[in-house]
Amino acid sequence: MTAEQSLPATAGGARRVRHALVDRLFHWFSAGAVVVLLATALLPILGIEFAWVAIHWVTGLILAVLVILHVVRAVFWQNLRSMWISFGDIRDGLAALRSALRMSPGAGRLAGKYSLAQKAIHHAFTVVVLTAIGTGLMMLVKIDTPWWERDPYWVSDDVWAIVYVLHDLTSLCLVTMIIMHVYFAFRPEKLHLLRSMILGWITDGEYDRYYDRSDWHARADRRSADAPTYKHE
Amino acid sequence: MEFLRVSRNVWGQETILGLSWDLLPIFFWAGIVFAVLHAIYSWLLAGKRK
Repeated sequence: MTAEQSLPATAGGARRVRHALVDRLFHWFSAGAVVVLLATALLPILGIEFAWVAIHWVTGLILAVLVILHVVRAVFWQNLRSMWISFGDIRDGLAALRSALRMSPGAGRLAGKYSLAQKAIHHAFTVVVLTAIGTGLMMLVKIDTPWWERDPYWVSDDVWAIVYVLHDLTSLCLVTMIIMHVYFAFRPEKLHLLRSMILGWITDGEYDRYYDRSDWHARADRRSADAPTYKHE
Repeated sequence: MEFLRVSRNVWGQETILGLSWDLLPIFFWAGIVFAVLHAIYSWLLAGKRK
């Protein structure tokens, strides 16, 4: 691991904002909620018994609210195109894959703010988490809450079977996906991404090395000592 | 290995309760195996590129 790859930036210099504070808070609160949901779902299965139901559904509601806030922010304050998978992304992703498999010498074009792999895992998490929330909200009907009494006959057993299987499948998929997500977060060449999700910024050098400036106009971090005075979008 | 958890309702009909938790180790180890294989491949590739 080189000094440049270590988690804290080892030297001063201009920084670029990668993740605003509100987006980092969303990420870490969502991550915490998912961990609590998986723990309350799976620990009793592993033999650790406790009163998990209330913690589980309350945390599920918190995650649902967080996701709604994220969607609102993404639609009205962020650039949805930065997460859209284009034909160019697929072409660049295939070029990077060919390079990784040593089928071609070049590594292909630099990515915009998010690589094809990052967009793919974001969309995978989107599908899985939205399915978990949707089925979880339906299952709320079967438990007593402060707002309603349980109604186990709201839909037929066949529909409940589909709801249960989907909810369980999402929890199992999340186990695999979180392991992969954490693994990549701690890869030496990805540590700048982990740092940016904690502190919000990448260095100017990382911006040049990993990103296409024409695809992603990262604004300068005004907190960095020698941030450029010109303004990006 | 069972893929589904099943029970019988009050009318004696078989109802599905969800996926079998026997699948949990498979999903867990799938993530671990992927990470280990990727780490080994990246390490070998980095060695060849030096």
